[in-house]
Amino acid sequence: MEKNEFQKLWKTFEIIAIGCVLFGILLVLYLVRALLTPFIIAFVITFFLSPIVDYMEGEGINRTFAVILLIILTLIFLFILWKLTWPTIQTEISSFQKNAPFYISKIQDSLNRAIDLLEKNMGFIPKGTLEKALQQKINSLTSGTGDVSSLIKIIKELVTTLIVIPFVTFFLVKDGRKIKKMLIAYVPNKYFETFLTLFYKIDQQISNYIRGQLIDSFIVGVIAIIGLYLFRVNYAFLIGVVLGMFNIIPYIGPSMGFVFGSLLILIDTGSTVNLIKFICIYVCIRVLDDIIISPLVLSRRVHVHTLMVIIVIMLGGFFHGILGMLLAVPLYCSIKVTFQILYRGFIEYGNW
Amino acid sequence: MSKKRISNVILQKIRGREGDIIPVLRTVPLFEGLTFRDLKKIELIVHERTFMPDEVVFYERQPGTGMYIIKKGLIKLTKTINEEKAKIADLEEGEFFGEMALLEDYPRSAEATAVVKTEVLGIFRPDLFDLIEHNPRLGSKILMKLSQRLANRLRKTTEMKLKEV
Repeated sequence: MEKNEFQKLWKTFEIIAIGCVLFGILLVLYLVRALLTPFIIAFVITFFLSPIVDYMEGEGINRTFAVILLIILTLIFLFILWKLTWPTIQTEISSFQKNAPFYISKIQDSLNRAIDLLEKNMGFIPKGTLEKALQQKINSLTSGTGDVSSLIKIIKELVTTLIVIPFVTFFLVKDGRKIKKMLIAYVPNKYFETFLTLFYKIDQQISNYIRGQLIDSFIVGVIAIIGLYLFRVNYAFLIGVVLGMFNIIPYIGPSMGFVFGSLLILIDTGSTVNLIKFICIYVCIRVLDDIIISPLVLSRRVHVHTLMVIIVIMLGGFFHGILGMLLAVPLYCSIKVTFQILYRGFIEYGNW
Repeated sequence: MSKKRISNVILQKIRGREGDIIPVLRTVPLFEGLTFRDLKKIELIVHERTFMPDEVVFYERQPGTGMYIIKKGLIKLTKTINEEKAKIADLEEGEFFGEMALLEDYPRSAEATAVVKTEVLGIFRPDLFDLIEHNPRLGSKILMKLSQRLANRLRKTTEMKLKEV
């Protein structure tokens, strides 16, 4: 009886210890989150490249050679893409840069008018408070961009990121399987099978989701660029790229892209016809995405309630910006799967 | 050094060393007839585990994930009948157990315990499915052997039942 009680106590201690270790890992990751961005990007690219390398390996090509070949092919593809699209991007960016002060003053005028109206109708707000706050915000946004030290910092970060990402990606794709095996080797015998299943399911959830979202967004971006070009909408490339990029984030992303596109068109030309054209293209893309692209690409969609998706995306954005928003859903699913498997293994089968 | 020895050394360098896992895999009927290259691919999904005396490899009714091949040591298989553990078999070096779990997520039918310090090689369903997906040729060979083994067992059980009748 005493031995049984000791065993129960020991098991409870084990659960608490595992929980503490997991919490500690999450805390450390949160504390060093600023350094994580290049690694997260490398992980995302790895999820995309791994199946191609796996396929090449299955066809009898050596894995290292397959990774090098794939990286060279990707670089060639990016170079061709850059050569083809650079003139357009350059024109759009220089035009945007030239018109930026005009856009900002236009936004500022509209906001000032709205503030005046607010202050007139709401007597309790002292006159000039909102205008002062707005001016401060605009100053903080525009200052720093021309600062030499901040520019050097940005370049340094960019170079570090550009070196770290390919390096980490190369090793993750080449030795991903070995790394996984090495990590799982540390799990005690008693929990080995449970953790192996867990590891596999989490890997599957994250890789399927990220791969699907990236392909879906790429297709949406390309269709948006083509559509906007055909309808001769200004900044077609810029708006298309932003629409595609925001599409990575479910539910909230497409709306963010729509707001960006609409605002840019309104500020740039102020033409309602252009705005209607954009809305029509956007609605067509959304219908195409929801009916054809998404079901085809995201064949193994995650089963999570819409409200939950929105909540976890907002939490992801709060912790790690756009990347946090992208990873929020697969991370939530991983946690859910973890609890399901642990519950099944430890409680339902009584082996805990 | 003779020409043959030099060519052997070069060949070994290109193909990679055999190590101590491949010779064990060769003895398993499931991997009979597989080439060195195929065995090298299986070696990548093998997990080496060591169990201390009386340590349980898996419990009865626990959801199974894979099979184990004994590299060194001794494993005892037991089954609970009328709340008492009855020994089913003792398994030695080169023998394997738990292969049913490679096919389906069904609770283990027996409990496996290490009798002495035992080294095992574990092959698990997620890794096997991954191998089948990326290397269907090798995957189908393993599945074929696995099916033959199960068919054999089914035939024996049927014959036994018929004899009883």
